[in-house]
Amino acid sequence: MDLDTVKERAGPREFSPADDLPEEYRKAATRMIEFHANSEIMGAYLERPFIREAPSIDRKLAFSAKVQDEIGHGQLLYRAAESLGVKTREEMLDDLANGDGKFLNCFHYPMEKWPETAMIAFFVDGAAMRRQATLRRTSWEPYAHAMDKVCFEEGFHVKHGESILAELMNGSKKEQEMTQEAFETWWPRIIQFFGPTDEQSTHHGFASQVGLKQKSNDELRTAFLNQYIPKAEKYGLEIPDEPRIRENDEGNYEVVEDDLDWDEFFTIAKNEYEPGVGQINGRKEAQEAVEWVRETIEGGPVPSGNQPPQAAD
Amino acid sequence: MPAFDSPASLDDEQAEALEALLLELADDEYVQAERYTEWQVRAPTLESDLALANNAQDELGHARLWYDVLEDLGHEEHELIYEREPDEWRHSTLTERPFDDGDWADVILRHYLYDVAEELRLEALEESSYAKIADRVGKIQNEEAYHREHAENWMERLADDDESSERLQDAVDRLFPHALTLFEAGSADLEETIVEAGFRDASLAELREEWLSIVVPYLDELGLETPVSEIIQYDDYDLEVTDDTLPEVRGRDGTHTEAWEELHAEFTNTYRELERSEATKIMAKPE
Repeated sequence: MDLDTVKERAGPREFSPADDLPEEYRKAATRMIEFHANSEIMGAYLERPFIREAPSIDRKLAFSAKVQDEIGHGQLLYRAAESLGVKTREEMLDDLANGDGKFLNCFHYPMEKWPETAMIAFFVDGAAMRRQATLRRTSWEPYAHAMDKVCFEEGFHVKHGESILAELMNGSKKEQEMTQEAFETWWPRIIQFFGPTDEQSTHHGFASQVGLKQKSNDELRTAFLNQYIPKAEKYGLEIPDEPRIRENDEGNYEVVEDDLDWDEFFTIAKNEYEPGVGQINGRKEAQEAVEWVRETIEGGPVPSGNQPPQAAD
Repeated sequence: MPAFDSPASLDDEQAEALEALLLELADDEYVQAERYTEWQVRAPTLESDLALANNAQDELGHARLWYDVLEDLGHEEHELIYEREPDEWRHSTLTERPFDDGDWADVILRHYLYDVAEELRLEALEESSYAKIADRVGKIQNEEAYHREHAENWMERLADDDESSERLQDAVDRLFPHALTLFEAGSADLEETIVEAGFRDASLAELREEWLSIVVPYLDELGLETPVSEIIQYDDYDLEVTDDTLPEVRGRDGTHTEAWEELHAEFTNTYRELERSEATKIMAKPE
């Protein structure tokens, strides 16, 4: 199939491994899905310590299940990416370990305190939900198919995140203050989740022409702000003065982009931001420590659990 | 018909014995789960990561069921988990031992030794005279059924390779003594009451004998040595473990290895930092 035909036909779930697709399409789709899969793994890496920190058994169970779900999403997404025939899962995981694999900006920052878990589980996952919901209509069918399961489980994560946030904001003054502080730290990063405006985005044009991307960065950011600013306020969070957010003539929220630190964002995008580098290497070291197991089981069946993973609730 | 359908039907000594039994059950599961969660995002493959996470959640779920029974005896979750001093915990020292980086052989062996013991212990609780225990055993057994099989699959895989078999042997040398504390009694008197009242219908000594008769030949078949000697008497034989095989600390009596204080400080950290006085329930109380 040539590129013009791809662009002509590009519609929801239009292409599958049965189609003979041009290299440009397969590479762009691989890049996008690999980024998504890597983000699941690095998000799980960031949240794992909070399984232990959770201040009740129920929260601990939900956190363990959430981290497990994310590893499961990574597994599904790597499979959807592999099906494009550009890279194997091992190559993608190796690239993630050696610092070549790219992933979401938010997961390059450290997470140290419990109230920050609400920032990830409610706001970042909520932002991810907005994007993922549109990806159920992406043109690469295996990706869209993976999104069905991912979206279903992410729904539970966001609900759990909201429950953590509500509890903190109804808690002691100290809890409320810690949560507001976490919010101020994370808010600009969360807005940057959607990337730069469409004019500045490198890959946007092609990805939307071939139906991989369904909505632009700007549309998704606006939809997120419209939904989450009222929610943040409902729980008693104060929206920081910067970045400035204005309501435009159509009643939509709009961010003053210059108020955000784009140097930091692009340093992160190159995997050169310090805490992120530490997190990439931390995961790499943990993976190197079990290299001997992978060597032992190579070529034979891998013992697996017999139970379906539970959903977080 | 179980003899005891509520805490009100117990005398003081029985209530104390029941509490001791439940704490051992709950604490074992809880601490075992805490250690399993360390492997999330660190297991050798995505598939094994998912499997260990299942184990962690199963054990946590079981801990939750046993702590819930303790609530009938007047306890509350926040007090049991977040406000109890480290030396008031009653889990076996097997469950609290830390892992060296990447020591997958350790977690697999621990998984195996623990789950064989768990199977036997649950069998001995099936007919418990305390109704709520008997009620909950079935649900737990359904989930545990997969655990031993999963552990054995991995044991056999690791034992089949020289390097990983050596790692398994190191783990046996370190963990076997701690596994024996699973069958120690916190107090001999209470252990006697537990059996007499029929809360558990086998004694710890009987459970230990049965456990040895399963794990020792199994490990032997995999080429792994244990600190257990066979005493042959005419046509019968016994497996003997000398007392000095056991670690100095026994877990069940509140004495623990150093690693425990650190682990305890970690999982109570947020609760203390937020100055909480309650543990949030988000799921319905178990039936």
